[in-house]
Amino acid sequence: MAEKKILTKDFGAPGLAHLAGYEQTGGYQAYQKALKELQPDALVEMVKKSGLRGRGGAGFGTGQKWSFLPKGVYPRYLVINADESEPGCFKDRYLLEASPHQVVEGLLIAAFAIGCNLAFIYIRGEYLPQHEALEWALAEARQAGYIGKNVLGSGFDVDVILHRGAGAYICGEETALLTSLEGYRGEPRLKPPFPAIKGLYGKPTVVNNVETVATLPHIVSNGPDWFATIGTETGKGTRLWCMSGHVNRPGNYEMEMGAPIRELIYDLGGGVWKNRKLKAFQPGGASMMVLLPQHLDVGLDFDAIQKAGSLAGAGAMVVMDETTCMVDMCRRYVEFFHHESCGKCTPCREGTFWMTNVLTRIEEGEGKAGDADLLLEMGNNIDGRSFCPLGDASTWFPRSCIKYFRDEFEQHVTEHACPFRKERVMVA
Amino acid sequence: MAVATDQVTLQVDGVSVTVPKGTLILDAAKKLGIDIPIFCSHPKMEPVAVCRMCLIEVEKMPKLQPACAIPVAEGMVVRTLTDKVKQYQQGVLEFLLINHPLDCPICDKGGECPLQDQTFQYGPGASRYDFQKAHFDKAVPLSDKIVLDRERCILCWRCTRFTEEISGERELALIKRGVHTIIGTFNDEPAQSVYQGNWTEICPVGALTSRQYRFISRPWDLDRTPSVCPGCAMGCNIQIDSRHNKIGRFQSRENLEVDDGWLCDQGRYSFPYFQRDQEFGSPSIRRDGQLAAVSYPEAVAEAAARLQRAGSSAAGWASPGATNEELFLFQRLFRETLKSPHLDHRQQGIHETDPEDIGLPIADIERCDHVVVLGGQEVIDAAPVLHLRLHKSQRHGVAVHRVDEVKAGLAAVPAEATVVGVLATAARRADAITLQNQLVSKVKGRVRRLIVVRGPNGRGAKDLGILPHLGPGYAVLNGRAGRPRAEWPKAGIRALYIYDASPLQEFGATEAELDWLRSLDTVIVQRFKPSVLDEYAHVILPGRAFPEKDGTVTSMEGRVQRIANGIDAAHVWDDWRILQAVANAMGAGLPYRTSESIFADLAKAVPAYAAAALAQGRVLWGER
Repeated sequence: MAEKKILTKDFGAPGLAHLAGYEQTGGYQAYQKALKELQPDALVEMVKKSGLRGRGGAGFGTGQKWSFLPKGVYPRYLVINADESEPGCFKDRYLLEASPHQVVEGLLIAAFAIGCNLAFIYIRGEYLPQHEALEWALAEARQAGYIGKNVLGSGFDVDVILHRGAGAYICGEETALLTSLEGYRGEPRLKPPFPAIKGLYGKPTVVNNVETVATLPHIVSNGPDWFATIGTETGKGTRLWCMSGHVNRPGNYEMEMGAPIRELIYDLGGGVWKNRKLKAFQPGGASMMVLLPQHLDVGLDFDAIQKAGSLAGAGAMVVMDETTCMVDMCRRYVEFFHHESCGKCTPCREGTFWMTNVLTRIEEGEGKAGDADLLLEMGNNIDGRSFCPLGDASTWFPRSCIKYFRDEFEQHVTEHACPFRKERVMVA
Repeated sequence: MAVATDQVTLQVDGVSVTVPKGTLILDAAKKLGIDIPIFCSHPKMEPVAVCRMCLIEVEKMPKLQPACAIPVAEGMVVRTLTDKVKQYQQGVLEFLLINHPLDCPICDKGGECPLQDQTFQYGPGASRYDFQKAHFDKAVPLSDKIVLDRERCILCWRCTRFTEEISGERELALIKRGVHTIIGTFNDEPAQSVYQGNWTEICPVGALTSRQYRFISRPWDLDRTPSVCPGCAMGCNIQIDSRHNKIGRFQSRENLEVDDGWLCDQGRYSFPYFQRDQEFGSPSIRRDGQLAAVSYPEAVAEAAARLQRAGSSAAGWASPGATNEELFLFQRLFRETLKSPHLDHRQQGIHETDPEDIGLPIADIERCDHVVVLGGQEVIDAAPVLHLRLHKSQRHGVAVHRVDEVKAGLAAVPAEATVVGVLATAARRADAITLQNQLVSKVKGRVRRLIVVRGPNGRGAKDLGILPHLGPGYAVLNGRAGRPRAEWPKAGIRALYIYDASPLQEFGATEAELDWLRSLDTVIVQRFKPSVLDEYAHVILPGRAFPEKDGTVTSMEGRVQRIANGIDAAHVWDDWRILQAVANAMGAGLPYRTSESIFADLAKAVPAYAAAALAQGRVLWGER
């Protein structure tokens, strides 16, 4: 099996990162088509019909999200979430690097569809080359008349502001992103009101992921019916999967929705490295629940992965071989969430701190009987009780690990050491 | 319009309740007497739902919901007592306590601490947290008034939101993130706000404490007396908290019509001025140039004899920090006993007054569409809590114009304004009236003014006729007007009776007046603490401090409010008793036994005050 390339089909074409190269591959044709042949409402309907779901993590219907904007309330803003920070995810970075114009074109189509005259791109602070690529692409698009007043004589005015984040994972959460974009501390906002009603600067706002908008030119060019034929019943099109970990060929792979995980890891990724056995894998990124070899035939699609007990999230695939210590994995991940917790709400702020302490203790061989249950109970008090999904998500991986690998936790405790460490930590 | 659509009926713990649309679940439950624990939620601030203490179950919602932030909906079914909620409450309190030092035994807040109380009521009996707690700086000076303990802080955001939403100064902010988040000021510079004391009251833990109150008392050892702030004419309601008959602190006592629950630091931290931290001497008489201690009757007799000699050439100055009852007797002493018209409570300025000065009650500022603050900061400095009301009004859409000149004030208000308010200090009353008159001809709506007078009873002093030209109730004195205080040095005054009731509103003799004071036959000083005037006094009559008195004071908006003695000073004569004794020594025959009995007569002289007596001092002057 091979990849199903839509977004990445022209990747590698000469000069794709620049306007001339991108236009050679048919770039900006979709945008022109949208401006000339389609009304904004028709575009929204088209995207609804295509079945496109947001690629940022939650998998919410893109057309549906757009249609939540209150009628007649202007200005309204489009914000592109390029704050890709989920450990294990690097697809937006790839898209921005290889074909920034594809993202810009998608953004412009979305802006036209929702009647937005000022769009923002919030890009992760660490993404410097990608920021440069975007900056360049925006300048070219502006020069070509794709951005500006009365674009190509259509009467549509649009401008784009590119903004760099300052290094906080939480700013990938849409409301925290908006707060940060406004110049405040990056902290999530109370929902409702949802951004569609009251978003950036209190105005109706759509927040879309990079990959989501990068898909739009293809839907406009080829039609929603074409798009809807790709993928599964509830997951249309393709997705980029960011594969990393103990796999022979890590990297980004564009797969049709619903293709089995096995294909991704074995056919494209070349299987587990060093001829070792697959212990577990984690779709979606650091937040998501672990899955086992028994789940290899699950389809790469929102609903199938959810049914298997995890979430597709932002499209990461972390592969873990048999030498992986799940306790250490948990410790590493939870430490990350503890570090990135904004501190706004109690369960996340205190809970990730405490969980980190407990997991570190277990991993260092100082765990106590009952620590696994303590983690589960803490997880219960964080998940669904935090202000935003950061707290919730910090508990999913460790809880799923305790579910599948409880023995490993117990072993750490009873042996007073991590069984996977070559040099065992001895406890006095 | 159908009223029914504005009401929503829901169920909380099986009981139905109907509340206005938009009400939060928390408040709907409160209406039923159902207590949902909170930390971050505050009735005067926007909900933020950060502490997560108030999560409860709402039918058809899979997750627990923050009662402090979710508005009610028709048919909503709320459950606050389920096992799921109870387990979670234990969990969140366990979380809140893992990095809390639990130093309750040495914490000022212990005993009145929401964290402590709710841990007892809803929390786990013990913690399973057995690691090192995260450590932070303790006893951080945020300013000369406030000390912050960053370990006790539970990051509820109340103080930061206060500086943003209530005072608008944005002085406190969250710094760093996650478990390392702390509260602080920009660059650790000292906080400048004059509303900092409020932070300590809204803090649900012992993180923000008043430097003056640190380690002074445990809450349960405090005696609490409702009173009124002696700081200015605003009339903010306070509670005098004392221990061992010493004032520990002034706390706010919410009166939505006046202070909205807040105090300014000027008032809150004024209590050391009124502290009887030592004995301030007995009554004394000057003999051969030296002050000699005598008994009250002796001093009273001496004062009376000297006053009688001066007769109508005696002048009396009473502080606007005195009570209505005292002021009433003071003017009877002069007008009736001594037949002297030379009365005043003002310092240098000569400000006229009339009942229109209280045309705009404080709470009505919120109901204006335009408010002109003539003099800007000078008005706020005179009554700082006024700023909080103005800021609140502004947030709710009232246009507040801070201007220095009448012209600018007139220009700021558009002709279509419907309810306009003008605020000014007594010093700029004339300008305020000019502006008001000009606005009346410009705008189609009503224009009202409020004059910020000086002293907690500056309004009462005017109402009761401590003025040379007007008697009690603004009675016109036909041809019998006296001379104002500023003119006394050149008015042939022979004896001067200074009732310096409050260290905050003193007689304030100028350099030039000192020679005049020295030249007088008689200077009688009735005061609380030794003052610079003692040097010129022939008779000193020690009286009581504001927190040691019973009586009423009238705020700048004409609100007659009761003050009560939170501090027992039985060995010192009541000021009204001294005044009555002096008058009676001259044969006045005043019969009063309590300050209440004086009020009854006072209300006959100033009929507007009769209504105040009936309503226990809670109505505005002049019945509105």
